[in-house]
Formats: sequence, structure tokens, C-alpha cells
Amino acid sequence: MSDSPRITRRSLFRGIGSVTVVAGCATPAKPEPQPAPGLAAATPPIDGVALGPGPAALRFTLNGATQTVEVAPSTTLLDLLRHQLNATGSKLVCDRGACGACTVLVGGVPRPSCMTLAHDVADAEVTTVEGLASAGKLSVLQQAFIDHDALQCGYCTSGMLMSCQALLARNGATDAAAVETAISGNLCRCGTYPNIVAAVLSAAKAGA
Amino acid sequence: MTGPTTTLKVGFAKQLRDIQVALPPGEPRPWDATDKLEIVGKPIPRIEAPAKVTGAAKYTHDIRLPGLLHAAILRSPHPCATLGALDLEAARRAPGVVAVLALAKPGDRLLFVGQDVAAVAASTPQQAQDALRQISATYKPEPFVIGTAAAMASDAPRVHTGKVEERSTEGDEPGSSGGATQKGNIRMTPSQKKGDVDKGLRMARVTHEATYTTQVHTHSALETHSIVVRWDDPKHMTVWCSTQGIFSVRDELAEVFELKAQDVHVITDFIGGGFGAKFGASAPGSRMGFVAGELARLARAPVALLLDRREEHLCTGNRPDSIQRVTLGASPAGELTAIKVVAHGSAGIGTGAGVGRNASGIYTKCQNIRVESHDVFTHAGPATAFRAPGHPQGAFALELALDELAVKLGKDPLDLRIAHNEHPVRRHQFELGREKFSWDKRRKQAVAQHNSGARLRHGVGVAASIWGDFGRGNAVTATCSVGRDGSIELRNGLQDIGGGITTVVAQVVAEVLHRPVSEVRVKIGDSELGSSVGSGGSNTTSSVTPAVRAAAEAVKTQLTALAVKQLGARSSADLRWDSKGVSAGKKSLGFAELCKYISGESITATGTRPETYGAYPTKFAGGNSYQIAGVQFAAIEVDTWTGLVRVQSVLALHDCGRVMNELTCRSQIQGGIILGTSYALTEQRVMDPVHGVMLNANLDAYKIAGARDVPDMEVVFTEVHTGANNTGAIGIGEPATIPTAAAIACALYNALGVPVRSLPLTPDRVLAALGVVPGHTG
Repeated sequence: MSDSPRITRRSLFRGIGSVTVVAGCATPAKPEPQPAPGLAAATPPIDGVALGPGPAALRFTLNGATQTVEVAPSTTLLDLLRHQLNATGSKLVCDRGACGACTVLVGGVPRPSCMTLAHDVADAEVTTVEGLASAGKLSVLQQAFIDHDALQCGYCTSGMLMSCQALLARNGATDAAAVETAISGNLCRCGTYPNIVAAVLSAAKAGA
Repeated sequence: MTGPTTTLKVGFAKQLRDIQVALPPGEPRPWDATDKLEIVGKPIPRIEAPAKVTGAAKYTHDIRLPGLLHAAILRSPHPCATLGALDLEAARRAPGVVAVLALAKPGDRLLFVGQDVAAVAASTPQQAQDALRQISATYKPEPFVIGTAAAMASDAPRVHTGKVEERSTEGDEPGSSGGATQKGNIRMTPSQKKGDVDKGLRMARVTHEATYTTQVHTHSALETHSIVVRWDDPKHMTVWCSTQGIFSVRDELAEVFELKAQDVHVITDFIGGGFGAKFGASAPGSRMGFVAGELARLARAPVALLLDRREEHLCTGNRPDSIQRVTLGASPAGELTAIKVVAHGSAGIGTGAGVGRNASGIYTKCQNIRVESHDVFTHAGPATAFRAPGHPQGAFALELALDELAVKLGKDPLDLRIAHNEHPVRRHQFELGREKFSWDKRRKQAVAQHNSGARLRHGVGVAASIWGDFGRGNAVTATCSVGRDGSIELRNGLQDIGGGITTVVAQVVAEVLHRPVSEVRVKIGDSELGSSVGSGGSNTTSSVTPAVRAAAEAVKTQLTALAVKQLGARSSADLRWDSKGVSAGKKSLGFAELCKYISGESITATGTRPETYGAYPTKFAGGNSYQIAGVQFAAIEVDTWTGLVRVQSVLALHDCGRVMNELTCRSQIQGGIILGTSYALTEQRVMDPVHGVMLNANLDAYKIAGARDVPDMEVVFTEVHTGANNTGAIGIGEPATIPTAAAIACALYNALGVPVRSLPLTPDRVLAALGVVPGHTG
């Protein structure tokens, strides 16, 4: 990382602009693959206006409130949240989508915000851990996490909550295995997994 | 000076007895087996949890200050090199850069990939990273050595040219270090000795000798090492640090910048895991405290230095690997005559690769024991304390070797253990576990299954834990106050690393004052709230809660005097306290009403914890502290076609003195088991011996256990009243992870009929042990 040049995701994007990257990756001869559920609304059309390398306007909804910000196309959603919007509940841990600590909901779908470019949530609805409680009242899931001691140091907690919230929203918390699968992309170093499973199952039972 | 002696009822289960303890003046009578507590011990959810589930909790990574700059460190790309030229001028002129700092001089020898070379501070994290690429550094690479065995060769490149000074932290086991001699890359430390091991081996009729190896294990706390420094003026700084020891941060920075300790204000409201690697302002392999402080001084602006995941693996410590030659001797009747362990391990460029007290401290009926632990220097980042330093690796080698000996003796491994263990609590745990885990039946089933040649096989194993009560005396000053408005506050400069001490402290105050936990406000995480201990050595609860209780009792004494006066009682003996308040005869006062009579704003008192005054029933090997007992049983399933091992269940029987909070204590034990499972099956630092770099410095190829890797866990508390301090708290963080990997390895041996003597127990090693594929070295 010192005497030899290192290409990072950010420097690459910054150098050539995000739209060019997306366009360069597409293979026109083949039919467009169907985007994954939840991605459709969030992904800007590839024939749109080229953005960058400087900051460009971005509009999206964060926890119910419309946000209009100027952000460089190379900026990840996580950096936007943590550094520009002071929403520090989502954590930067691995910076490569391996640990789930930065999980947020984009259009209701859990996604690693460290692997999502900020401009990819244009016009989408983003929910972070700060958006789970309403009017100062904890959600059923948040309260279940507390009651079942589903957290120790708390650093994985926000990402865990978002993955579990998405599971509950699709009525998927049918048994322990389903919860374990839902959080299989979320790492916890303190070892809270069984308590998280118990918390989610109890929240599901309570109709969360 | 001591006060009158007090009779305490101590012991465990039905084995209780009275002991006489001389208490220091003013010390509350310790809670013992006769005390029925109403709040302490109960499964009360964490009081700080709402901040954690809403994202409101501010960790060091979350600190935002006006004008905050972001630092980044250029790290050596070479395992061993001499720094040639270092030119920071282009970086100094790079966009957003405010300060640059050289951390090595031309001619300096750099000893591992990731060592500090230079640092920058810039307006954004990205600008800091970009500026690093503007630094021109040239290196003259030198020969290096990575593998521990390779480094032991007499012709291996020397890592250090001079004598190496030992670095220790509050995470290290007290008393585990000592004088050492050095030869080549090997640094020999004094051995743990009892009797004459050579004689014991000569007496033996049955012997077992084999080599066991364990891997390097990185802490991988989710929050990386991080520090934010703001100079308030040239003689005062405010620091936010992700640390297990607030006062260790303060003292390091005071020393480095020649400040008075009280002029360094350290804040740690929340910390995203530590596991032993976060003591002091710096990381074990990076001078983070100096870097952040000096850049902030140069830039005249606050600086945040937050490591990334790769740096976290390379230069913030790890659990050393080990190569352990174990020799056991026994009489034909199965009496152990000798336990000999010769261990070599690499803490990289650092020290502290010992293998703990398992071999010398648990099966002590054996009269002849010798354990030698030697450090082997390699060109890798320094190790540091990691949740029970030395012990998981020591447990693995010793316990698996015992199982192999038991097979040679034709004895049940659990019988062999019980016969040689002298700790009454551990013996109780072994016996209890045997029954609860259906040990005898499952051992027989495993043999039958093995003989049938089934593809999926099952096995059970057992291993023991040993740790000491390292609760510290005279280290904690807690302040309790009750306001005229009835508010209750407890203040102390401790940090909650996730064990749940915040809640336990509130419970102690609530117990003493007969108030609900929700009424107790706990202020911690700040060096200005009174001295406290670092969270290492499983000593937080045992060091802090006695001081908290002393403070609360002192407040209670004053409230009692007030109540006697207001109720017109003859003496405090006439008062009855309950959750409503206080009464005497037919007169009563609610707590809030009583508080209104407080003259001035509040009643405030401080409390401290005297030295530990008892070690009942058994002392820790080599010390005067109580020996904490624990035993874990594991059941595994192994696929003999693929070599994949799954841990199905773990039964954990642990002693942690008084259980202060059943909920958080259970969580901590579960966490220890999960860490041990992860260590047993998947985690390992992979180094490229040709290039000297770590190949999996991330969280996708460095495999830590996920939700689906977790066994079913049953936790049994075998509560012990030790009379060691006034709350009876001991410790659990470390004991809970010590025996897990060992028990899993023993269970695998039971299932396969052949031992896998290297951690982690990966499919290739299982298949090699079965003779299906060739084995590999290491």
C-alpha cells in the first residue's frame, strides 16, 4: 500500500466516474439481466447523465424524511450516512460487505451500505437503525433485543436489527433456522447469535 | 490495620462452611451464602441497551467534532526491510492535507508488514488515504522468516538483533512473565515446575508423547482500534478512545506528551469489543496514541485515527500460535506420574507466547510437572493478550493428550480427569456434567458408531478451565450520591466492554438502597469520574462492584441516621427498609420523602475496595488468589467423507463466584463458547511464507463463526461463595472460552478414533487423520 500504486474501489470510481463504470460493465449484446428485488427502484438508468467526479445532487428518503445532498459519485451510502448526515448508527467494520454491520434497508431490502454507492439510492427509501423507533418508542424488535440480551458490545447490533427487521416484514421468522439464515451475513464477535434468534422469534410471535 | 473478624458462610452447592475473615475498618460485611439478595443476581436487561438498539450510542468511530481531521498511516509493505529514503513533501502538498509525520527514519529496520512508517492528517478520510500514496518511501528488503518452526532453525534470519524488552498490559495474566534468556530467535522463559518430571517419566509404565499445534488467532473486534485527540490547550487534551482501559490511555498519553495525568481527559462511552487487544492509547504494533496526538498538535485541530480492517489484522495484536510437545507418563493403574510440556510459540516480533496454567494447575494430583513456554520471534505483527492468554492453546494440547493416554490405559477420560483434579468445585462440575450430558452412554455410542463404519460420526469430549480471581484492591474509587430530589447516581471511570458492568453496578446500588434499578443513574466511561481498573484478566466485576457497594453503603449509613431522626426511632436497628422506603414502628417515610430531609443538595460518599481477603476453597496455581473452576462438555458430528466438523452442543459448567446478573453472565459464557468454537474450527491467520504477508486480512477469508456455526448451549452456574470481597463477584470472561476448543478436539477424537492434533480442525486435517488424503505440514 505504499511504494506500489494500489487501486481501490473508491479511487477507481473517482477516476472514471460511476456511470462509465456501470456502462463499461454492461454487455449490450446480451439481454439485460433482471435486477434483484429492491434494486430496481434504486438503480439509476445507465443512459442517464454522467455524474462526477465532483459532488452531484442526490435526493432520497432517509427514515421517512427527504434528503437532498451534494455527494461525489464515488461516495458509499455508508460514508454519506456517517460523515455527511451524522447518522452514525450504521457501522463501518469490514468495508467489503462481509460482516453486515452497515446493513440498511433500501426499499425494504437489507443491503450492505459499504458496498452501495450513495447515488444508487436516488429516489429510494432508506431505513437505518435510527429509523426503527417511532416517536421515541422502541419497536417490538428493539425491545425484544433488550429483553433477550441480544447485544453485548453493541457494534453489530444495528446491522443485526436491520436484517431481522426485513425478515419480520416479510413474515419470514418462522423458526430458528430462518432467523439464522437471515443473519448469516451479519457477524457478531461477542457471541450474541442465540439471543438474537430468541429475540426475533419472540418479536414475530408478538406480531412485529 | 484490620477490624474485628467476621464469620462468613462460604463454599458451593451443599458444601458450605464457616470461615473467619478479618475485615478492614469500614468494610461492609461481605455478602455470603446466608444473604438472600433481591436485585443482585437477577436477570435484569442491560440499562444501556436502548442507546445500542437505536444507534444513539456513540463509539469512538462515531465522534464528530468541529474541524475534525482524519489520519492515516503508511505501513511497511515488507516483512523485513531497512528504510531507505522517506519523502513526505508531496503528501504535505496533497489536497486536504494539514499535517504529515514521519514514524521511521532512513536506516531504521522495519520488522513486519504493517509497521508504522509515516502518517498524514487531512480533511477527509479519502484525502488522507490519497495522500499516503503521495509519500515516497524506498526500502531495502532483508531476509525474513515467517513460520514458527522455520524461525527456530539456527540459520534462520534473526528478527531482533538485541535483547527484547517485554511489553505487558492489564490484559496479561498477572505474574505470568519473568526473567528470560535469548538464543537466536528463541527467547526462553522460566518454566512452571513441580517435583521431578524426568523421574516421573522413568517411573511411568505407560507413556504418551506427541506434538500439538495451534494457529494464530486475531481478536477481530468489530470496532477497529481507534482514537480521537483534541488539544484543549498546549497542556490539556481530551481523548476519545476505543479502549478496555481508560486510565491506561490517560497514562500513556501523559507520558508520551509529558503532561500531567489529570490533564489528559479520556472518554469511552462505548467500545465495540476488545478481547484483550485494547489497552493503552496505542495498538500493540502501531503508535496510535503518539500519531493522533502529534498530528493534532501539528495541525492545531482535532484528529481521528481509525484503523481499517486490514490494519486491525496486521498490527493490533493476536493470540500467538504454538507447537507443544506433550509427554505424559502413568502407572498401569492410571495414576499420572509426569506431565511435561515443551511449548514454542510466536508472538511475532513481540513476547508472550506461553501456554498458560492448564498443564501445571489442573491435574495437580500428578506430582511431577514441568511446563516450558518459549517465545519464537518471527517477522509478523506482535501478539498481545487475547481472552485468556495462553490458556485455550494450552488446554487443547493437554486435554487431547490426556484423552490419548486414557485410550492407552483403557480408562475413561473423564475418570482420569476427576482422579487427578484437586479442586472441589471442578470435581463437582465434572460429576454434574457427566450426568447431565449422558457422558457414559454417549461415549459408548460413539465407539459403536465408529466400529460400524458410519459416514456421519458423533463424539463427546470434556475439558477443564483454570483462571484466577484477579480482582484488584485499592484501584477503584466509586462515588455514590443520593439527591434531595431522590435521584440516585453512581460515578466511576470504568468502561463497559460489553460484559454488562453498567447494569451490574446499578444492581449493586439498587440492592443496597432498596430501590429499583431503573432509578439508578450510572455514569461511567470517563477518566474524570474516579479511578478504575482496565477490563482485563476477568477482573472488572470483582474489582469494581465491591467499591460501588462500599460507596452505596456509606450513603445508606447517612440515610439511616436521617431516618432515625425523622422517624424518632431509638436506633438504626428499629428501622425496616423496603422498596417503598423506611419505617419504624407504625411510622414510615417514602424514599423520596426521606430524601427531602437531606441538608444540602445530596448525600455523597466514595467507596474503595480493599485487597482480596479470602481465596476459599482453592488457590490459583502460583498465587494467592482464588482459582476459578470451569468444565465444558462438547458433542460433535463429523462427516468422514468431507471432513467437515459441526459442534452440536456444549454444556458449560462455570464458577464465577456470585452470579451478579444471570442474563448478562449467561451471555458472556455463551460468547466464550462461540469464540472457542470459532477458534476450534475455522479461524486462522494465513501467512504467505514466500512474501511474508497475511493473505486473509479481512473478514471474508478470515472466518469467524456466524449464526449457523453456533452449537446448542446449556450454561450451568455452580455458584461459589469465596469470601474474597464484599459482593462475592469473581470473573467469567476468560474462563468461559478456555476449554471449548479442547473439548471439541477431544470429541472429534472420540468420533474418529484418531486424533487431529492441530487447530483449527479443518476438513483437510480430518481427512488426513483418517488417512484419506495426505497430511500437510504444520
